[in-house]
Amino acid sequence: MGIRFNQVSHGYTSFADGLYTAIKDISFEISDKNEFIALVGHTGSGKSTLAKHMNALIFPTSGTLEIFGKTITSKRDKKIKYNDIRKKVGLVFQFPEYQLFEETVEKDIMFGPMNFKISKEEAKALAKESLNLVGLDDSYLTRNPYNLSGGEKKRVSIAGILAMNPDILVLDEPTSGLDPAGRRVLMDLFKDIHDKTKKSVIIITHDMDLVYQYFNRVLVMNEGHLIFDGDPEKLFREKDLFKNHLDYPNTIKVLDYLNKSLGINLDIYKRTIEEALLEIKGAEKL
Amino acid sequence: MKSVIIGQYIPGKGLFYKLDPRTKIIAVFLLMVSVFLFERIEQLLIALGVATLLLLVGKINIIRVIKGLKPIMILLIFTFIFQIMLNKQGQKVVEHDMYFTLFTLLFLVIAFILWRVMVKITKFRFTFFFLFVISIYLTLRYVDYGQTIIQPFNFAIYEDGITMSIFVVIRLLIIITLSTVLTLTTKPTDLTQGLEKLMHPLKKIGFDSESFALIISISLRYIPTIFDEANKIMMAQASRGADFSEGKLKDKLRQVISLLVPMFIIAFIRSEELANAMESRNFVPGEPRTRIHELTMSYRDTLATLFSFSVLILSIVLKVI
Amino acid sequence: MSYIEIQKLSYSYNEKTNVLDDINIDIEKGEWIAVLGHNGSGKSTLAKTLVGLLEPKTGDITIDGITLGEETAYEIRKKIGIVFQNPDNQFVGVTVKDDIAFGMENLCVPREEMLEKINFYAKKVNMLDFLDKEPATLSGGQKQRVAIAGILAMQSDIIIFDEATSMLDPYSKEELIQYIKTLHKDGLTIIMITHDINEALLADRILVMNKGKVFAFQETEKIMKDKETFTSSNLELPVALELANSLAQDDKFKEIRDKLWEYALTK
Repeated sequence: MGIRFNQVSHGYTSFADGLYTAIKDISFEISDKNEFIALVGHTGSGKSTLAKHMNALIFPTSGTLEIFGKTITSKRDKKIKYNDIRKKVGLVFQFPEYQLFEETVEKDIMFGPMNFKISKEEAKALAKESLNLVGLDDSYLTRNPYNLSGGEKKRVSIAGILAMNPDILVLDEPTSGLDPAGRRVLMDLFKDIHDKTKKSVIIITHDMDLVYQYFNRVLVMNEGHLIFDGDPEKLFREKDLFKNHLDYPNTIKVLDYLNKSLGINLDIYKRTIEEALLEIKGAEKL
Repeated sequence: MKSVIIGQYIPGKGLFYKLDPRTKIIAVFLLMVSVFLFERIEQLLIALGVATLLLLVGKINIIRVIKGLKPIMILLIFTFIFQIMLNKQGQKVVEHDMYFTLFTLLFLVIAFILWRVMVKITKFRFTFFFLFVISIYLTLRYVDYGQTIIQPFNFAIYEDGITMSIFVVIRLLIIITLSTVLTLTTKPTDLTQGLEKLMHPLKKIGFDSESFALIISISLRYIPTIFDEANKIMMAQASRGADFSEGKLKDKLRQVISLLVPMFIIAFIRSEELANAMESRNFVPGEPRTRIHELTMSYRDTLATLFSFSVLILSIVLKVI
Repeated sequence: MSYIEIQKLSYSYNEKTNVLDDINIDIEKGEWIAVLGHNGSGKSTLAKTLVGLLEPKTGDITIDGITLGEETAYEIRKKIGIVFQNPDNQFVGVTVKDDIAFGMENLCVPREEMLEKINFYAKKVNMLDFLDKEPATLSGGQKQRVAIAGILAMQSDIIIFDEATSMLDPYSKEELIQYIKTLHKDGLTIIMITHDINEALLADRILVMNKGKVFAFQETEKIMKDKETFTSSNLELPVALELANSLAQDDKFKEIRDKLWEYALTK
């Protein structure tokens, strides 16, 4: 078992709303391998707070959390080395600008491994390996991370976490701010990393098209509660997402519009444009 | 969204909230000067009484002000002790020998441990610090058996030492209370605007008070944002194993750099974007602008200024006589 | 004469490559223009040259008969406002009220008039209850709305949105789009730079930029029928139109095609 939440709540005092409970009574499990999970929810639903618990950056205010056998409670336990947890669960933040600081890509990626007392030679090898894993070639090693494009920076920041060789990889909105093509390329990359390494991957996203096309498990947060954990298609069939400030995938929306406006009966649960096209072409009654 | 509260300003009603910031700045300045002019302890005590009365008139929570004093309590105590120890004028009030022996050392260590433990488990930190200081004194005074480490030395308190130390402490108390009233009842933006207007005449010697005020208000506006961001950067680097609580000095240095570089680079990008946003909204440095915040004086301001002026004159008169 | 005329506009950071290369476009008063293009196609640079934040290498920008130059920048900026991508880096005021006032203060609007306008435009973007709030307590979408109010209060009638929705979540994005629709109805000229093809569909005309050049500039419906324009510029059509274009050969699907178009252009 990788991560288990046991009735975890987290509250804090904020300037804006006084005492604020970001997540409430959350319980679920994530296996230490072979998982590919999407975490969705509107802004302020608590998904980022949830993610920060996964590598013990913040502690629950009530409930407990088990991460690779270590129990995290509201109090800092001196016997637990929290740094070891962060090595096992890698968290990539939304903006690469938050973590890039060295003058070369290679040095920057080495920062993580070196913090875990890995020798310089080994760290160099890891840097190269993880850079290739995110689809950048060796020529990037000597480049300045600040002169890269937005998408490349993102890849380097992900490589920085991959180099620590975590068992579970958590990514906070890795596709935001990219154009659709860039988004798809990055998602293919994550899927590829997952397939190659069998690491569990958790991705926070707003994009329901991606959720439908890439994931087989989705966690949905709403106002601090975990309101769904399961297959995306089941989510789209059963839940009223508009009520939760969420959206449906475009294929579902378009096919549903056709059904309603033309009084036909297409199966609207199609993941891709190709599948939707086949459904329309194959429809008997038009 | 975690944020820090800017300054000490607490929204409220009452006399001091209605005063113009300029009046408040001038009044606090005049009153502080008068406090330094008072020479007799009775005068100061009356001044302290008046300061407390001002808090009551302004409906300011006195407990709040006392809480504000907490961080500088240690400073006050040290001032007090130094004054007592160093002033050797007037009549001797107390005089006796002090001893420093092995037993004293033992007692001191025990007192220290007791103090640290008590501070950890109870709330009354300050009371225990006070008890700790007293126990040091008592130990030095009465524990005279055992192997001497330092030769007995003479300890004396003089009359003037006591009056002077009380004097200094009360003076500090008044000054702190006055400035707390100012920051507690004035929004940071109003404070900067008040300062801007008061410093306007300095334009003649080349000081641009408007730009100064704008710089301050933009800094104030970005404090919560930057704080938030620093927090996120710290978490991002902690996720890469930068554990800021452990590690050797050399590692720590690198970890601090890993925090500072992103902060500066983001700040650099931000300043450029902010400058663009300001320019696109027709901001031209040095050009005349109208202001949404207008400072207005009322009869209250006249009264407050008159009051502080008369206190100043009174203090000058008392000094001359 | 058009309301906005851009002639032979070029811009470059260095001598070698032009970020903007010989741009010639006219925009009419009250039009809604969407600017599409991959990252680095020069969209944002175009926006910045339009408000005089960057000085073009060659060419002219004329807005309402005034040609942009060092002396006229002040006048031009009264007519044209810009909402940037990062909501946090354009909020100048300590409170919402201060921020809406900032532009007017620079124009030396008398205080009484400012107060009136602040109330009027804060109401327009539904921020009237937040006038005394500090930016740290606002969401990204709310900050963007404050930026709009600040521009409207300066009586500008052209607003550029420079990827203004890209840092917002889908819900706030949709909300902001609704406000932009109202502005368009009120007769403002809108220039919207975006990644989001679904947003672009709302515009009257779409400008596709590619490597600093105008790749296409046509009526929305017209441009959407031409799949080539999109694929060769590294862009994607919305799902409904992708389907419609794939069904284009067969008359059997005419009804479906019409509905797909209807969906794309109205939703």
